Amino acid sequence: MAKETTGATTMESLARGRTTGKFRCVNCFVRISPPPGAKTYKCPHCGFEWRVFWISPTFPRIRGPVWDVNRRLAAEEVSKQRKGGK
Amino acid sequence: MALNRKIAYINLTTGEIETKPIPISMRKKFLGGRGLDMYLMYNHVKPGVDPLGPDNVAFVSAGILVSTLASATARTHIGGKSPLTGYVGSANMGGFFAPEMRWAGFDHLVIKGKAEKPVYLWIHNGEIEIRDAKNIWGKTVHETQQIVREELGDREIKILTIGPAGEKLVRFANVMTGVKDAGGRSGMGALLGSKNLKCIACRGTMDIKIAHPQEALDYNKTFITQITSAKVSQTQGKIGTPFIWGSTNSWGGIRTNNFQYNQLEYSDDIEAESLDEVNIGMAGCFGCQVHCRARYIIPDGPYKGVYDEGPEYTAQGAFCGEPGCTKRNTLLVCNHLANIYGMDLLEVGSLTAWAMELYEKGILTDKDTDGLELRFGNDEAMIEMCHRIARREGLGDILAEGGLRAAKKIGKDSIKYLIHVKGMSNLHSDERGTPSLALGIATGSRGSDHLRSRPAVDLYHLPEPVLRKIYSTPVAYDGPLTSDYKDYEGKPWQVFWHETCYEAVDCLGICKYHTTFLAATGPNFEEWSRVLYYNTGLEMSPVDIWTVAERAYNMERLFNLREGLTRKDDWLNDRYFDEPTTRGIPAVQGRTIDREKFAKMIGEYYEHHGWDENGVPTPETLKRLGIDKEPSHVL
Repeated sequence: MAKETTGATTMESLARGRTTGKFRCVNCFVRISPPPGAKTYKCPHCGFEWRVFWISPTFPRIRGPVWDVNRRLAAEEVSKQRKGGK
Repeated sequence: MALNRKIAYINLTTGEIETKPIPISMRKKFLGGRGLDMYLMYNHVKPGVDPLGPDNVAFVSAGILVSTLASATARTHIGGKSPLTGYVGSANMGGFFAPEMRWAGFDHLVIKGKAEKPVYLWIHNGEIEIRDAKNIWGKTVHETQQIVREELGDREIKILTIGPAGEKLVRFANVMTGVKDAGGRSGMGALLGSKNLKCIACRGTMDIKIAHPQEALDYNKTFITQITSAKVSQTQGKIGTPFIWGSTNSWGGIRTNNFQYNQLEYSDDIEAESLDEVNIGMAGCFGCQVHCRARYIIPDGPYKGVYDEGPEYTAQGAFCGEPGCTKRNTLLVCNHLANIYGMDLLEVGSLTAWAMELYEKGILTDKDTDGLELRFGNDEAMIEMCHRIARREGLGDILAEGGLRAAKKIGKDSIKYLIHVKGMSNLHSDERGTPSLALGIATGSRGSDHLRSRPAVDLYHLPEPVLRKIYSTPVAYDGPLTSDYKDYEGKPWQVFWHETCYEAVDCLGICKYHTTFLAATGPNFEEWSRVLYYNTGLEMSPVDIWTVAERAYNMERLFNLREGLTRKDDWLNDRYFDEPTTRGIPAVQGRTIDREKFAKMIGEYYEHHGWDENGVPTPETLKRLGIDKEPSHVL
């Protein structure tokens, strides 16, 4: 036998850490849980707002940004960074 | 047994056909598929040959696990010197062709010379015939397959074919199978076209004997459970690869208006969920449980009612992101045209977007475009350019030569705006915010390439311990790894690791969606060691498989170096370094790639490979991998 692993493989051990009902905000990377069936959801941590699509009733994903909201927030943040000399 | 399939040498000039067994020693060194093809390519393609001349050689193969009980093992590999880049030509496709080729008795085809007139190959249960192709020459990808099946009287025949673009030697023509499965990138369709070889039809009923069938079945259940429970697989099974757009376009990782922006704003109509509205059901490749291939009927316009499959994430970027088009119908139509003509849609979209920027900057004029208003966001122009490139009409004829040749012909400052590496257009992704992805495309063996080494999981902000777990198996790594995709540290190892992983997948014949590509939880070397043993009887440890992949990748490097590649070819267009990004989330706005840090990354990447500062494998590396005496002409 080529390889008989006694413990879990990398794939198996990582799979145990899967989360359901959540996705990461792609701006701040915090895992967030939109209420079931929500069409849009504002990240409670950074305020960026996302359009939500449900793969199944318990499996949400980001469809895309709420364009006007996120464009405005990004512009404000970038302007703040530039003024702060970052 | 699963390892008794043969290699066939087919000379189209003389009509001679010879078959041989593949020694187990070569299996252990290169497995099959892309790996063994790269050995064959280095051994059979003489240095400096014209890629479209009779001395170039085409290689068609199945991965070593194809048509066994292993999951998602459908992949066909096609190799040869690239008509587009002059370096490694290599294309890989799913569908059902490779399993049929194995059932017909063959793992590898080495196709030499040039037929006097159009021909096709008919392969069935150990026999190979060269047949007249006059009634299919000029036909589309879809028409060809239908006609050949009717001619041979068997609806179950699987066909690998070129379309009109391959016949016209469009340098980025694809090899295709089924409705949309594409052996894209590097112009392998043009290579077959240059040999007057229209298609290869296969049908076989020769059993593949599994070495340890019960164990293979039992383990496959575990394997399938892991695959199908991954969130990425569930998402792909529902809406296909366009789901990726939802993330990458949200944060600003999409190349738009050629390279002027990094996000296609207000593009809701081309998002996966919009495409899902015209989806009539998902389909899968041989042996796959994910079923990520969407099927659709065009709902509006002149192509209303036409059936096709896809579009994939790549098509969203090629036909919408890069040319700045936001209509779903444009995406569906262009995808269909690329499929029937048999063209690499990434080249078609990229080169058209490049031409649009040249037009808007006044480098190309109405005279050059025959009156076509080649502006960003002009959906009709995008569709029209698909036809013109495939038919080699006007500006389309120039673009059909590929970016570098076209830039030479157009002149002025046109080269400055061409987004390519080694003469191959980049995917629609914008890597200015992600140094790891930038390194991957700069160093890819076949050119700017997201399927050679892309560490996509670098975008997931995974904690360091998780990254450590992934990237320290099967070989030890204790260097830096960071969760921040904007960092430069540790990324060369990630690129090297994925490069080796993807090479292994291509040797085995497994789909990349079944490894650590889009899902961090994907199977890789540890699982493959078991799968390989249960199905073929080959005893190879995870490290052994890693070493096969390293060996094969070094054969590709040797081929490229022999064709004149230097360190400066592992580099990016100046725009990556000089033009900051302007859209997306705050973290990716204002980003460029730092030249100095990038050069350092390349040096580290070479070191991981065991290459010197010029990117040449050291004698010690070649000896360690057992390829210091190549070409050895064993096969």
